[in-house]
Amino acid sequence: MERLKFILKRLGYLVVMLFGVATLVFILTKMIPGDPTVANLSQRALNDPEVVAAFRAKYGLDKPVLVQYFYYIGNLLHFDLGTSIRTNNSVLSELNRCFPATFELALFAIIVAAVLGILFGIISATHRNSAGDQIVRAISVTGVSIPSFWFALIVLYFFYYKLHIMPGPGRLSNTFAEPAHVTGLFVLDSLLEGNPAKAWDAFRHLILPGFVLAAFTMGLITRTTRSNLLDVMSTDYIRTAKAKGLSRRRLIRKHALGNALIPVLTVIGLGLGNLLGGMVLVETIFNWPGVGQFAYESVLSNDYPAIIGVALLIALNYMIINTIVDILYGIIDPRVRLQ
Amino acid sequence: MKKRILAIALCAAMTLGLAACGGDSASTAESSAASAGTASGSSDDSTVVIAMGSGFSTLDPGYVYEKYPPLIVNACYDNLFRFTSNDGEPEPNLVDTYEWSDDNLTLTCTLKDGLKFASGNPLTSADVAFSINRCKNLQGNPSFICETIDSIETPDDKTVIFHLNTVDSAFLSKLTYSSLAVLDSEVVKENGGTDAEDAATADTAQDYLNTASAGSGPYVMTSYTPDEEVVLEKNENYWGEASNVDKFIIEIQPDSNTQMMTLSSGDIDVAMNMTDDTMAELTDDNVVKINEPTKTVGFVMMNMDESVGGPVSNPDVQQAIRLALNYSEIQTICGEGSVTPYSLIQVGFMGSKGERSTDYTDIDKAKDLLAQAGYPDGFDIDLTVCDLDMEGIALTDLAQVVKENLAEIGINCNIVSDPWAAGYGDDYRDGKLGFTVMYWGTDYNDPNVQLEFLPGKTVGLRAGWTAEMDDQGLDDLYDQAMAATDNDQRSEILGQIQDAMYENGPFIFFAQAPSHIAYSSRIDGVAVSDPYALDVRSITIK
Repeated sequence: MERLKFILKRLGYLVVMLFGVATLVFILTKMIPGDPTVANLSQRALNDPEVVAAFRAKYGLDKPVLVQYFYYIGNLLHFDLGTSIRTNNSVLSELNRCFPATFELALFAIIVAAVLGILFGIISATHRNSAGDQIVRAISVTGVSIPSFWFALIVLYFFYYKLHIMPGPGRLSNTFAEPAHVTGLFVLDSLLEGNPAKAWDAFRHLILPGFVLAAFTMGLITRTTRSNLLDVMSTDYIRTAKAKGLSRRRLIRKHALGNALIPVLTVIGLGLGNLLGGMVLVETIFNWPGVGQFAYESVLSNDYPAIIGVALLIALNYMIINTIVDILYGIIDPRVRLQ
Repeated sequence: MKKRILAIALCAAMTLGLAACGGDSASTAESSAASAGTASGSSDDSTVVIAMGSGFSTLDPGYVYEKYPPLIVNACYDNLFRFTSNDGEPEPNLVDTYEWSDDNLTLTCTLKDGLKFASGNPLTSADVAFSINRCKNLQGNPSFICETIDSIETPDDKTVIFHLNTVDSAFLSKLTYSSLAVLDSEVVKENGGTDAEDAATADTAQDYLNTASAGSGPYVMTSYTPDEEVVLEKNENYWGEASNVDKFIIEIQPDSNTQMMTLSSGDIDVAMNMTDDTMAELTDDNVVKINEPTKTVGFVMMNMDESVGGPVSNPDVQQAIRLALNYSEIQTICGEGSVTPYSLIQVGFMGSKGERSTDYTDIDKAKDLLAQAGYPDGFDIDLTVCDLDMEGIALTDLAQVVKENLAEIGINCNIVSDPWAAGYGDDYRDGKLGFTVMYWGTDYNDPNVQLEFLPGKTVGLRAGWTAEMDDQGLDDLYDQAMAATDNDQRSEILGQIQDAMYENGPFIFFAQAPSHIAYSSRIDGVAVSDPYALDVRSITIK
């Protein structure tokens, strides 16, 4: 009951926050210099006042900014994010097209980052100052500091171009047609279609971009796990448990890890939120038609409805993830009460 | 000890897992290569996979104006006329015979027999009139192409009569433009299309035409995923002779490194957006490389209005700058295949006088001219540049070369960056830029597009070059060039215009951007194409 009340309260906040984000982004897009008419019409067309007027009328740019804002908010209340100036499709349908690609990749990347990050963190903390610890710390520092576009090119160059052991860019090989859209997640949709070979191919395409995206978050998780586990290991209750003769393995698994993982959960949540916003450069190199590429093209075209749509999506992602993380806090540590 | 073994075992398991993922891939890659022989990205031997850049917004012919959509429109639709080579002239396509009236204001075209759309509907003169009127009335980016059309008459199913409001020597070239592709009017109307005068607000067919084609070309668009891929499959109802390619998969791959790797690995057959660097990486004998100039041209603009241009409005200073530029260096920056046109008409266009000699540079003479203009010690000036690129070459890089070249004659340029959509675009069009580096892509494939650089014309006015400043009879030559429908006569007039602007005027055309295309040797017919980005109709499998 307490949890349900908490979720309902969060949903209320969510609506208010989304309204705030929509308003803020709307104001910002109008404040920054740049005109969608100039960005989307050709040099020749811009010389024709009739063409310019038709364009501005089509996208409501001829109306006062305040009127545009009220129209926008009114449409938003009907779940209408407007029409993309660049593609002429509804922003909702565009997000529906590109978000599943980003979601599938982000989900894979965060699982890889969490599993490897926690594992490396434990190894590093339990073997403090050993060679293993140094290696893991070097990996985590590299993961955090390596530029993702460079890492993307390097892994593509070696594992795809030179060694031929990984598939190339894209979500699926040309030998397969896209699975029928159910969830938009190719691995899942291929399985639902009853085609495990296609699902396997889609999964293999996730590996290289997934590991590249995972590198940064994995580094953070490793470092957070290590430092928190070391902190917990030096507390009184652990010392007492040790004195009672508990095995080291049982000590870490049953007593230390749970407490050390609470801050790690925050890092995982933030990492997932970050990944769900799309990664332009990695998506470009791996030809991944996700939110990042859509956002990038939209910004270049001063496509206000699309930019606001992406901003709302990112805000929504963070709010949902934060809510889930808060609920998980309570599950991991029963002392944490949801308020 | 046990824990260590466990950790090692875990790592080993993960490594094996990855290797297992890759092992399957390796065998797939091998089998793919074996089946295709060389670099081939096709799922079968009759499929060709093309990688091209991103950045287009629509595939509705009535709206297309960007670089890449003509590739798809040309494959799925027919125009009355079309180009079969990049430096050729428009050739009849749907048209069987055509005739100009004596005053060159009326063009009568007779359509070929047996024309039909992919839907099976017959292609008639009504479809031609619908398509062109729709483009005109949509008031979109390409509507300007119809500005010389007064009306279109269709006395019978096979005859189309164009009445022009002025003589237009580029009219046949304009009829090749993707926006004037002939649509299946029945299908388009069923999906919300209209050619009425209120089409700008009433037409709702763009959504449909973004996802399906409604043409008579050799291919039909069977799927389009924005920012991802377009699939074209053979039109079973095609009226003409099709190539032996059954299917084209056009993948949108913005990164040239990715294109280089996917071509080398055999996942694609054509890489359209290579660079000098990525071309150098391709050493495979099974890959063919093309480095040729496009008609996209970079230029320096010096405003003729002294209150805007300051010292660069002086004709002697303009000539000094023309002499100070190092054209070889600029070509090197642009990449292999780049050329410097003799004057305003690009190499490859009918009537072009070819290239400007790279020995043209003369620093001493440039210094003398500067002194003659009253600037013996040079001067300081802002060189404004925007964030656009010319076929992948950043304008800021070109501005840097101009700055370095001009430093040799004492002109100190302060490069001012100004984003295109956040100020530069407006200032450029309004003639408020004093000194800038910019580029010009051809709207349609005809030398007449370059005549906009003449005094009093669209681009000329951006440099403050009004018709009143014309002291070389360029306005008269413009009228003659627009009116001449005989190609020899056109070439002669265009030659005179190029001579007049060779060492005069506020523009210096420093280089044509090259196109770098690489493709698998299993296919043939790949070539640089300004009108279509890539003419897929000419591609065949060996």
